[in-house]
Amino acid sequence: MLKKWFSLSLSVVLAVVLTACGSNNAESSKEPATASTSSEAPSASASASASAEKKVIKYWTDDRHDQEYIKELISQFNSSNPDNIEVELTVLSENFNQSVDIAFSSNQAPDVLRLKSANTELFYKKGYLTPLDDYLTGENEGMKTKFSTGIIDNVNRFGGKLYSLPNTGLTLRLVYNKDLFEKAGITSPPVSLQEMVDAAKKITEAGKKDGIYGFALNFKNPKSAFDRSVREILSLSGHQGLGFDLKTGKFDFAPYARVIEYFKQMYDDGSILPGAETLDIDPLRAQFAAGKIGMYLSFSTEPGVYKDQFPTDINWGGAIAPSIDGTQLGTSEIVSAGTWLGINEKSENKDAAWKFMAYMYGDDIQTTYHEKGFGIAIVPSIAAKAKNPDIKGMEGFLVGKSDSLWPVSPTITPEGLNYGDAFFKYMISGGDLQKITDDLNTRYNAALTAAVAKGDVNVTALPDFDPSKLQAK
Amino acid sequence: MFSWRRLQENSLFLFPSVILTLVLGIYPLLWMLRFMFYDYPGYGDELFVGLDNFERLARDSEFWKSVQNTFVFAAGKLLITIPLSLLLAVLLNKSFRGRNLLRAVYFMPTIISTAVISVVFYIIFNSYNGMVNQLLMKYHLIDQPVPWLGPKYAMLTVILVAAWGAVGNYMLLFLAGLQSIPQDLYESASIDGANAVQRFRYITIPMLGPIMQIIIMLAIIASLKGYESIMVMTDGGPIGKTEVMYLYLYKLLFPVPTGPPVEQQLGYGSAVGFATAIIVGLITAIYYFMTKKMNKVF
Repeated sequence: MLKKWFSLSLSVVLAVVLTACGSNNAESSKEPATASTSSEAPSASASASASAEKKVIKYWTDDRHDQEYIKELISQFNSSNPDNIEVELTVLSENFNQSVDIAFSSNQAPDVLRLKSANTELFYKKGYLTPLDDYLTGENEGMKTKFSTGIIDNVNRFGGKLYSLPNTGLTLRLVYNKDLFEKAGITSPPVSLQEMVDAAKKITEAGKKDGIYGFALNFKNPKSAFDRSVREILSLSGHQGLGFDLKTGKFDFAPYARVIEYFKQMYDDGSILPGAETLDIDPLRAQFAAGKIGMYLSFSTEPGVYKDQFPTDINWGGAIAPSIDGTQLGTSEIVSAGTWLGINEKSENKDAAWKFMAYMYGDDIQTTYHEKGFGIAIVPSIAAKAKNPDIKGMEGFLVGKSDSLWPVSPTITPEGLNYGDAFFKYMISGGDLQKITDDLNTRYNAALTAAVAKGDVNVTALPDFDPSKLQAK
Repeated sequence: MFSWRRLQENSLFLFPSVILTLVLGIYPLLWMLRFMFYDYPGYGDELFVGLDNFERLARDSEFWKSVQNTFVFAAGKLLITIPLSLLLAVLLNKSFRGRNLLRAVYFMPTIISTAVISVVFYIIFNSYNGMVNQLLMKYHLIDQPVPWLGPKYAMLTVILVAAWGAVGNYMLLFLAGLQSIPQDLYESASIDGANAVQRFRYITIPMLGPIMQIIIMLAIIASLKGYESIMVMTDGGPIGKTEVMYLYLYKLLFPVPTGPPVEQQLGYGSAVGFATAIIVGLITAIYYFMTKKMNKVF
């Protein structure tokens, strides 16, 4: 009996040992760069072979629209850089932030990361990013001047240190079907919200029998819908677009509520595409491309989408969005601007990563990036010399005198419904708008106070803030 | 009788699953139980907040609405799924040509990706050009498109889709149960003059008792935990009408930023996770207690 028990135990021990060996092998194969660097270092000094000096750095992005061009640039960099740096590109999808989290927690994070407004602050707070200030000295001193207008607190600069540099941004526009406007007897895009409500009504009256409606937004995610529409209307009207009052340093959703009243009017009029309550952005674009929607509001990604994803023959264009009452007291906010690439704080090849980053931020590449229509250049020296992208509809989205960057609103997590869900609920089922606005103000300001007390957020009121003085060009 | 050898052998066989349970089940669970008492966005210091997360849970009307929606969703799904899958199982237990083909067809939804199927149903049910509306309008059954995914009908639509996906699975389990009923019971009942309905009522149902108790329990748990197809079709909307508790929980733990950054709420999310587990556990226990009789085959 004892013998049998011993042989069984031995099998288990062997199995465990084999598994352990297996896992070691797997781990080492996952990190070839680190393993080869450490094991080949002595032989490198002996033979001075070129391959031993090679530094492999990883670049992770979730941009898919420009990946062919980025691959081309990386291949050029790999073959031409004198420091024998090899960049490996990984293109991820919607789960980018989670993938980055997992990579950092398992010490397999990339050396260079694509940074966007949705992740930079969180990555900074999680300690993923390295400050770039030390690299912007000596021969790179000129870069400071080149990017100076795009260095913004809580966008790319945190705690006085710089973590990324700007390349392109997204403008926000009213996207409209010129043919449907003409058919409804409307000569120009609306400049006030009342005009927008009236235009939506007229287009619906003229086209409803053919399934054509005046207005739509991707209300499946109300916050996403409002962050691409109300945000723009508010900033043009002189208010920060996410409900934050820059003058008082507190949240005040009263201007937001004014815009929502007009959206509700369009809903009550029946001017919004039926089923918009569960519409995602791509099905919306498909319907717009099919000529079923008069207008919506969105980012400057739309021309590229109608070129590749939903090719269309309709006559459409982008125009400056309406303001609340037709008077432009502010500028249209350029969003997702200020960040492009960043370097991993824990990278063992920070210098190599910076060399790759400096290459990507070169004038030629930034200019071509704009000209190919992958994004709208917001660096003044690039915007001044780059030619307009040859993409239908892009002319309506280019940065003009009505566009500018805005100071950002703080990132907080309120209890209960976010403003998108709360206002959308009012839009389609009614209620007491004043009460909803007061409730939002209370909850958002409570969360802000808690975040400030915890030290997560710094807020400085700007009593002299004048939205009319924000100018890009 | 107790035997050391037996204990040793049993321990050896249990060893792998115990280790896996400890590492992948218990260990994360202990972290969750700890996080419930902390404010933690996934970075920086964890801030001990005592019972704050539970106080927030008590006043979180959106969570309680999601619990209410979960009950409506689960009840609707069960009311369609269980009778329909039992009926199909009884019909497909008879011998006729094409029986295996039909079994495969009804089982098919179980093996197709929920995400893919939900996207297809989203297209079928959408208001502006969905196939359901087009068909109904073609035969003049409706004048205006019905907003199947609108506030009024969204819950009904997601229940139908969930039931469609589940019927084949439970049908298969019922079939397994039916095949374990001895045929001579039916034969002797027929000789005694029992008709088909009587045979079903007095033989099939009681003999299926124990397996039916388990099938319904699994169905209850699956319905209370289901959220995948809802996430794809409506994402809990419109205006929270299809927000079920596991979807609510998912959004707290894995927020998807659509513009400005959104922080994870690991502390509050853990408290919500704990509460949902208690709710599902309680309902399952009550069900099991109330259906003890089903376990007895007469």
